[in-house]
Amino acid sequence: MWSTEAKSADSVLTCPFCGLACDDLSVAPGEQGPKVDARGCGLAARSFAEALGGASAPAAIRGQPASLEQVLDHGAALLRGASAPLFAGLATDVNGMRAMLELAERCGAVLDHLNGDALFRNLLVLQEHGWLTGTFAEVRNRADLILVAGTECFERFPRLSERLLYPPDALFSPPRERQLVLIGPWADRQTPAELPKSQTTVLPLDLKDLAGLMGILRGLLAKRPLQLGGGFAGIATERLADLAERLRGARYSVLVWSAAELAFPHAELTVRALVELVRDLNEETRAAALPLAGSLGDVTANQVCTWQTGYPLRSGFQQGGPRYEPILYRHQDLLSRGETDLLLWISALSPAAGPPSTQVPTILLGNPGTAPAEPVEAFIPVGIPGIDHPGHWYRSDTVCTLPLGRVRDSTLLPAAEVLHLLKKRL
Amino acid sequence: MLTKLTGGCLYDPANGVDGEVRDLYIRDGHILDGPPAESPDRTYDLTGKLVMAGAIDLHTHIGGGKVNIARAMLPELQGRDDATSRSGGRYSFGPATPSTLATGYRYAQMGYTSCFEPAVLPVNARQAHMEMADAPLLDTGGYAMLGNDDLLLQLMSEGVGQEVINDYVAWTLRATQCIGIKVVNPGGISAFKFNTRKLDVDERHPHYPLTPRDIVRTLSRAVAELGMPHPLHVHASNLGVPGNQTSTLATMEAAEGFPIHLTHIQFHSYGTEGERHFSSAAAEIAEAVNRQKNVTIDVGQIMFGQTVTISGDTMRQHANRRFAHPRKWTCMDIECEAGCGVVPFRYRDKNFVNALQWAIGLELFLMIDDPWRVFLTTDHPNGAPFTSYPHLIRLLTDKGFRNDQLACIHPDAAAMSRLAGLDREYSLYEIAIMTRAAPARILGLTDRGHLGPGALADITVYHERPDAEQTFGSPMLVFKGGQVVVEEGQVTRTLSGSTQVVRPDYDRRIEQRIGDWLDRYHSVRMGNFRISDEEMAEGIGSPVQVHPCRPRGSA
Repeated sequence: MWSTEAKSADSVLTCPFCGLACDDLSVAPGEQGPKVDARGCGLAARSFAEALGGASAPAAIRGQPASLEQVLDHGAALLRGASAPLFAGLATDVNGMRAMLELAERCGAVLDHLNGDALFRNLLVLQEHGWLTGTFAEVRNRADLILVAGTECFERFPRLSERLLYPPDALFSPPRERQLVLIGPWADRQTPAELPKSQTTVLPLDLKDLAGLMGILRGLLAKRPLQLGGGFAGIATERLADLAERLRGARYSVLVWSAAELAFPHAELTVRALVELVRDLNEETRAAALPLAGSLGDVTANQVCTWQTGYPLRSGFQQGGPRYEPILYRHQDLLSRGETDLLLWISALSPAAGPPSTQVPTILLGNPGTAPAEPVEAFIPVGIPGIDHPGHWYRSDTVCTLPLGRVRDSTLLPAAEVLHLLKKRL
Repeated sequence: MLTKLTGGCLYDPANGVDGEVRDLYIRDGHILDGPPAESPDRTYDLTGKLVMAGAIDLHTHIGGGKVNIARAMLPELQGRDDATSRSGGRYSFGPATPSTLATGYRYAQMGYTSCFEPAVLPVNARQAHMEMADAPLLDTGGYAMLGNDDLLLQLMSEGVGQEVINDYVAWTLRATQCIGIKVVNPGGISAFKFNTRKLDVDERHPHYPLTPRDIVRTLSRAVAELGMPHPLHVHASNLGVPGNQTSTLATMEAAEGFPIHLTHIQFHSYGTEGERHFSSAAAEIAEAVNRQKNVTIDVGQIMFGQTVTISGDTMRQHANRRFAHPRKWTCMDIECEAGCGVVPFRYRDKNFVNALQWAIGLELFLMIDDPWRVFLTTDHPNGAPFTSYPHLIRLLTDKGFRNDQLACIHPDAAAMSRLAGLDREYSLYEIAIMTRAAPARILGLTDRGHLGPGALADITVYHERPDAEQTFGSPMLVFKGGQVVVEEGQVTRTLSGSTQVVRPDYDRRIEQRIGDWLDRYHSVRMGNFRISDEEMAEGIGSPVQVHPCRPRGSA
């Protein structure tokens, strides 16, 4: 599938609005433009409706509409004058990211994704210890015991249950025999209605205690003498022992989390605890981690940066060849410490992912629905990959790049093309 | 534009040219048949220089998910690249985990012009091609991995006919835009997902009523019957296990006479003799290869130093996790297709096992008679980074140097090896066979790997230096499609390559079965699984070049 023609009727469509990248949506022509069947996903339905219904904000300089040529010239002048540019946001497709890297090299820029914090909660663990993971089809077909850490996975990835945890059909692990364990702040929350109550265990837990829980489970599995007394963080000793036994007895257990939800200091240590439990389990049985991510293109940006430069994101070209600084190159810190004099922000996927409020002059390549809260130095609307132009992007499990199609006729340029035009002007 | 290369000494085994001074003429990216009437626009005086076709690496891990996992996991193996800084470019250079840009530049700087990624997971094929598209100066291609995918195992278990398997194999090639079929630890990666930690050639899979032998036989037959030039590319069972020579020999037999390529065979040529129960079985393996003309191999030579092993063989990589250096590793079960494992490794010359592995690789090179059936690889980066090829060529062409190196390794390993007694020195002609003519022939690439009329003007010119490592490490000139891309070891021009594929016919009815399977159990629809030619050219950035197959069924 690769066509610059807009889809005509009932074509299969890939959704670019969350890291599950469901590719079974369809689009059909409607009276007011194309209509998308989002297969019951509220997030996709909303996002497509918003993207297809919204008018595009015009290109602008400091809030004043201007021609594309004028804004490109202005943007190029800003890039030429910058001594420490920061390229961030990076919510774009593979070719957008390829173009971003070319321009970053040319300008000596530092790169970070708007989801950088979440991305690095996982990446730091990969770099310190490595891990053992599975992919969507493996979880769907093989998992017989699934632990989901955190409550937000179900909102961030709306079709998670249907596609992976409790699918209609599976090769090796009948869905009706699966056990699901929901761990997180569920005490005052409804568990997802689509999960069968009889197969679901809920362990209410503050996520900051997740690492402690993983440690206890590892201890129990290793048959270490543990002084648990009255349990741990409100979970009774018997329930802990029961969960450990279920992990020991499972054929293929899976631990699911979304690092974005682990928004507390040093959450990478919590991810490490999850990963170490998976590693321990694999000594005797099979288990895999499934870190959910990828929404707004964080996996995409990181993959392309890694293959082209040899380093993951939070890399920069300030000193010739690329330099990797996972702690120092956090974009929020660069902005707040005044260590950058120009921000180039790409947010092609979602209007909600606009640039942070900053005094630093900003060039925004934004989703057509993006209306910058405060006028930026230069605004260029760019097409949405998967709607205005074809593209590629990665889903959560990092192995699968899906082609994004084109849904409507559009005059909006892809981010990659705008970046090439900027580079030509340097 | 007409270019003349004059006075060079040609080594062109495909055309039987062994060190003859001849002129070459290039126009429109190709080598001309004899001198044209008009005078050349540009003439290169190559008097005293060695001229060969651009080199071809038929087994090097340069693209795809597991390579990128290695990069992401091991930023400490990257470094500033000084050697090629003049070419500029956005890359760092760690020899074991080079960025795609560094990969392209470094290969070109050694005179390589075509490289093949041997482990393309079908679901990850887009990424593999995107990474290879971003490796400049190289034409590339991939081998699609089958043999651990649940659909093939299911089809075989149902007892569908060979024709259906053949259709599925051909569909996979087409969908993934690949040139070959690879099987890694046949059935073993799948078995590992069922918590089986070892699977011998005649052992039954824990779920399917199949053995690795069945898988090798079925797939090697499919590849032959489809008329594909490249034989089934096999990473055999029990990689790295002492005594695995038995399974390696059994894997050769499993092909039942159909062409079969056993890759990185060094890792599969181990005996159990001696007090450490680890010994060289190179002699037995070499004898079997010499005897069975349907067998080709590449060596997967190891070199001492830091590298990273990246493989689809999750079963064996997980077993080797305790040898990780630095101490971290990643494994992944992937999409009911296969898996991958990334384990960093440091081979030490004073470690008995590593030292013997080094010797075993060289024994295999020297004991296998026919240079058309043995290929020069380090299984980059598993045995060593590809940048060690010039050093490897010196080891093969210079017995004195080899013996000096042998004297430096663990003495017990040296004592257990036959290497000291092997006098063979590869000639330049033989080096040209194993790095140019033979890989082109076994991949079915008639347009390259030689210097005859009509060939693609991928040409490498070497200075003849006192030692082969210097000669092959820094060519005087490299032409890619007729354009000079490297001068005196420096990249002077960058351009992008194309993707080499073969495309045997298949019965479209197989798509019904595959589509239903994907819809019911998988996570990607068939329409998205398949990569079109337009997508390759416009989206991925590497247009497809189709090479012919023999007619289907003519095997």
